[in-house]
Amino acid sequence: MTQVGQPAPDFELGDQFDRKIKLSSFKGKCNVMLLFYPLDWTPT
Amino acid sequence: MGVSIDSAFSHANWAAKDCGGVSFPLLADFHPKGAMADSFGLFLAEAGITDRATVIIDKEGIVRYSVAVGPPGAREIGDLAAECEKINTGGGSMPKGEGVPAGTQLFVKSSCGPSRKALLAVDNLKLRDSIAVHNVSEDAAAKAKLVEAGGKDQAPCLVINGEAMFEAPEIAAKLADLVAPV
Repeated sequence: MTQVGQPAPDFELGDQFDRKIKLSSFKGKCNVMLLFYPLDWTPT
Repeated sequence: MGVSIDSAFSHANWAAKDCGGVSFPLLADFHPKGAMADSFGLFLAEAGITDRATVIIDKEGIVRYSVAVGPPGAREIGDLAAECEKINTGGGSMPKGEGVPAGTQLFVKSSCGPSRKALLAVDNLKLRDSIAVHNVSEDAAAKAKLVEAGGKDQAPCLVINGEAMFEAPEIAAKLADLVAPV
């Protein structure tokens, strides 16, 4: 589990609009909330 | 942003069909499967799925909150709201989109994967009222309009500010950047 107080590991992934989303691109700009969920077609 | 091991296409379908349209990013941790979740310690390798968990990262890139509740569990929405209150100290919101220009048109074909992809973007961004959608498989007049606006009989075709785009991923990304930029 990621430790509170530690830097988040960077990532770059595609979204539902085929955009590349890079975590570090938000640095200095805004906070980010990541909602991990098991699978699509299940309750989030 | 949402994260699961599903593909971008599954995300687009699920968000549009089951969730009434989702404009914030749903990330596809699809290949290699679960690698991003694993880097956060949130990939359940045996089940092959992502844990149900919430991670809040501040503007400096530091993890401020990280709670997993297990796949059948439920997030503590009250805790999340309280955490956001603590972290949201001045400025730093997501950029606002400029919106889709008037006169934007989308031409699609029936039984066409790329056309479906473009339409899912329209639905996820709730743009049905802002974009004129024409199905050229069902409407001969639309086909003539497509050739006039796009220069050729090829769909999907997004006509925006007088320019024609034919690639579904580019169309989806373009619309998303106008309405829900990141």
